[in-house]
Amino acid sequence: MDEVVLKYRPVVSFKVKKSIGTQTPDWEDVVNEIITQVIEKVKKGEFRGDSSIGTFIYTITSRRIVDYIRQKTKILKQIPEPAPLPDPCLTAESRERARVLAEAIKQLKPKFKEVLNLYYYQELSRDEVAQRLGISPRRVSERLNYAQKLLRKMIRQ
Amino acid sequence: MKKCQFEEQIDSYLLNKLEGEERDIFEEHYFSCPACFKKLQERDEVVAAIKSRGAWIFKEEPSAQKALLPSFEKIYSFFTPRQWATVAAAAALLLVTVFGVLPQFKRSTPQFFLSEHEVVRGETLSLISPIIDVRSVPAYFEWTRLGDNVEYRISVYNATLLWSATTKENRIALPEEIKQLMTAGEKYSWQVRAFSDKGTLIAVSSRVQFQIKPAE
Repeated sequence: MDEVVLKYRPVVSFKVKKSIGTQTPDWEDVVNEIITQVIEKVKKGEFRGDSSIGTFIYTITSRRIVDYIRQKTKILKQIPEPAPLPDPCLTAESRERARVLAEAIKQLKPKFKEVLNLYYYQELSRDEVAQRLGISPRRVSERLNYAQKLLRKMIRQ
Repeated sequence: MKKCQFEEQIDSYLLNKLEGEERDIFEEHYFSCPACFKKLQERDEVVAAIKSRGAWIFKEEPSAQKALLPSFEKIYSFFTPRQWATVAAAAALLLVTVFGVLPQFKRSTPQFFLSEHEVVRGETLSLISPIIDVRSVPAYFEWTRLGDNVEYRISVYNATLLWSATTKENRIALPEEIKQLMTAGEKYSWQVRAFSDKGTLIAVSSRVQFQIKPAE
């Protein structure tokens, strides 16, 4: 069962990073705490199979994140904490991936680049992008999906 | 492969457009759906790269190619593809009409409007006899045949027009009364004009001079 739980580490990490940000140095500690907590709860028989294991882990993750944010807010109210130092390894790795992806996006055809620009960078809605480019919203979705496929292909090469 | 109903929400989630219960339901879903989570991770990387480097990625690059591209696109977008196809078809039809059909209506025979003294080159009409000096008044005048349904008009001159006649043959006998008007030692000339059955002048011979030599 421990192995099954460990398979959920990436999804737990994703949710934690999304909620507290990767700039927070202790996000990995939070992830470790969650995984440990899940394994213990499973061992104690708290997972009865009423819901899927995914939902079970999600519930624990959400609660732990809420606790973490409350705890941080309390600390911040007492003494302003200095800005946390980011993990240098993680930053370097994610920077490199972002650089490779940025290069790949730059090489895309203008019709794909302009959709990515308007939708992800300028955060226009799908309908607004469609109106701006004179195409249907469905075509906007198709271009976004196709751009994704192209980018995957380009960075794999 | 059937598309997951939550897949549509991936972008909204990454752009923080999902709120409250909707966001919770989506998060719970990707904890249990490996396919959606994989796509979520992939798209998150792209969004993160765009958010962190968007200014550089989407920076306008002034280059000759870029300067030319909009003008080409402007020309191309002047018509829709269907309209372009119509324009191309119309142009092709025009070319076929000008170079293919119109030449068919061109008359094969030249049309001339000329006075008696003008020399015109059309179909070749050659005079056969008499073309040199003769010993006696010629009984016949003969020329080359141009085809069926051609009418020839012969004119015989001395100083002025002496005699003129028409025939569909390529030779004609000189009438006795004209023979008597022609005398030895005098110079005469003759010419033949050919007309189509519609009366169009199609050929004019050169005017040939001959002399009836006086008896020695």
